[in-house]
Amino acid sequence: MISTNLPEENPNNTGTTSHSRAGSSADAELRLGPLGFALDIHEKTFDELSLVLRGRLWVENAEEVRGALMRAVEQEPLKNVVVDLSQIDYIDSSGAAVLMELYRKCRAMNNVLKLARAGPSVQRFLDLVDFDHFKDKPILRPRAAPPLLVQIGGGAERIYRTVQDIITFLGAASIALYEDLRHPRQVKWDPLWKLIERSGSDAVPIVAILSFLMGAILAFQAAIQLRKFGANIFVADLVSVSICLEMGPLLAAIIVAGRSGAAYAAHIGTMQVTEEVDALRLMGVDPIRFLVSPRIVAVGLALPCLTIFADIVGIFGGCVVSVFALDLTPITYFNQVGRVLEVSDVLKGLIKSFAYGVEIAAIGCLRGFQVRGGAESVGQATTSAVVTSVFVLTVTDAVFAMFYHYTRFL
Amino acid sequence: MNEQRNTAAGTIPIISVRNVTAGYGDEIIIQDVSFDVFEGEIFSILGRSGCGKTTLFKVMTGLLEPVEGTVLIDGEEICCGESAQTGAVLKKVGVTFQSGALFTSMTLAENAAFPLRLHTRLPADTIEQIVRLKLSEVGLAGFEELLPAELSGGMQKRAALARAMALDPKILFFDEPSAGLDPVTSATLDETILKINKSLGTTMVIVTHELASILRTADRVIMLDREEKTIIAQGSPQELREKSDDPRVRDFFNRSASEPDLSLKR
Repeated sequence: MISTNLPEENPNNTGTTSHSRAGSSADAELRLGPLGFALDIHEKTFDELSLVLRGRLWVENAEEVRGALMRAVEQEPLKNVVVDLSQIDYIDSSGAAVLMELYRKCRAMNNVLKLARAGPSVQRFLDLVDFDHFKDKPILRPRAAPPLLVQIGGGAERIYRTVQDIITFLGAASIALYEDLRHPRQVKWDPLWKLIERSGSDAVPIVAILSFLMGAILAFQAAIQLRKFGANIFVADLVSVSICLEMGPLLAAIIVAGRSGAAYAAHIGTMQVTEEVDALRLMGVDPIRFLVSPRIVAVGLALPCLTIFADIVGIFGGCVVSVFALDLTPITYFNQVGRVLEVSDVLKGLIKSFAYGVEIAAIGCLRGFQVRGGAESVGQATTSAVVTSVFVLTVTDAVFAMFYHYTRFL
Repeated sequence: MNEQRNTAAGTIPIISVRNVTAGYGDEIIIQDVSFDVFEGEIFSILGRSGCGKTTLFKVMTGLLEPVEGTVLIDGEEICCGESAQTGAVLKKVGVTFQSGALFTSMTLAENAAFPLRLHTRLPADTIEQIVRLKLSEVGLAGFEELLPAELSGGMQKRAALARAMALDPKILFFDEPSAGLDPVTSATLDETILKINKSLGTTMVIVTHELASILRTADRVIMLDREEKTIIAQGSPQELREKSDDPRVRDFFNRSASEPDLSLKR
């Protein structure tokens, strides 16, 4: 028997590997290694390599068995490889996979692999393996990116589809809202109140906290600058006007986009996946009128209310900072607010926030209807609903700013 | 056929359900249920809708903690919670859910590779071979790179079976394997189940009410009842069909309704 240098090559190899010429009787002494397998290597005839596997061939030692087998085949470039399986006690899928890899390896080296003397249980297992099927391309590699031109084309097609979806959706939503206006008695008020409650009053605590902080932060930052000029009292101007015109509407809208816009996308998206939307359609219910127009009305009504609330709390937040950091009294602060803040400022903010509300609900619902497939698509739709809403809100804000300025509106 | 396989099945209980009472909240669905499943057999849990089949299934797979009683799998107690999820017991068990529950964002191959990547340290090549092997065992060779959404219902069920078998579990659980499948596809699935049971010796626990599939595959069955909340019959399906005097069992096996349906009166 010739001992090999295999174990030194791979110190992790704790199975037993022995190497012997034909006629050796020493293999009987070999015991199984701690991994529960042994590989005896013989050269029977001049062109045949005989590998005798013993013990268990399973998931716990597959890596080591594989290494030992591969090295044995690589080191002896003989034409015929015979693997004797008669002493295998147990084999599982990873064992079969190792034999399959050995088969492919042998074929790549132009060798012939024969699996010999498998016991009945091992044979039953091997019968399930279709050795010749496995010549195909890899199946678990990430797919290669398609050529650039194909990607550009795919992107363009997606944009075209999205634009088409948006136009169709806007048309359908407008019709549904128009129908609701024409037949207000057909509108289901109970679900509408529920929606207003969910998107409006449930958001009051978070809107209160954030707008209070926003007012306080604005006042604090302004105070640092204005104190240098002894112009403390103008903090009230800055806080009240910027809260009512910009910060209040925008803050409330972003919160509602994150709460209700995302919720609508996920809700309608899941309904799309579970075919609930199709069920509605087949019951003669227009899904747009059933799902979308109440949501648009609900958020369109709820958001201005939240905005008024945010305005008041924000101005109050500014007051608290002014009293503590600027030695103003609440009375002087609110007198100044009353002097500088016009009703038109508040109204401008509220008109904007109505537009924001309509947009948030429409975008949430649109993204929901765009869901195709399963869970992943619902996640994407929800993300996209919030991101698109925030983008559209900002653009709308810019448009309103120019509109108010150039038309001298109100 | 069944007689022959009965002798092949061992007599060592691999699953022991001991005095299990389970339900949701205050509502008790099954009361004091005990039985054994032996190694290598195909065991079916039968009963009409609402009799607690799925509840028992959830208890046996550790998804639902029983109010009382224990479930032993291969001598180890399973219970709910984080430790059990990662525990060695669950590696002995493969489960296919009623809806398939394939991960929709992964291809079939990735779905089947998921438990292997999670629980073994096999090299990528070996994992790939195992995935090919498993998918070809369930007749899905060549579909490895498709997403679940691109498959028919029957193929999804078989892919779910391939994923459940990835770690060569000793026990496979099926919840309503033939729900929503046509008779031919359902029969193919039965053959696949029989083939795997025969060649790998895997113990199968099948929750079903599909008569044809019960008679074809099951070695032994238990039947649950909604009113009694417990086992009302057990034995081989042929035995129950031919010899049972219980009208509820006879109705089930003859697809008739001799009793007024109490469930509709509530």
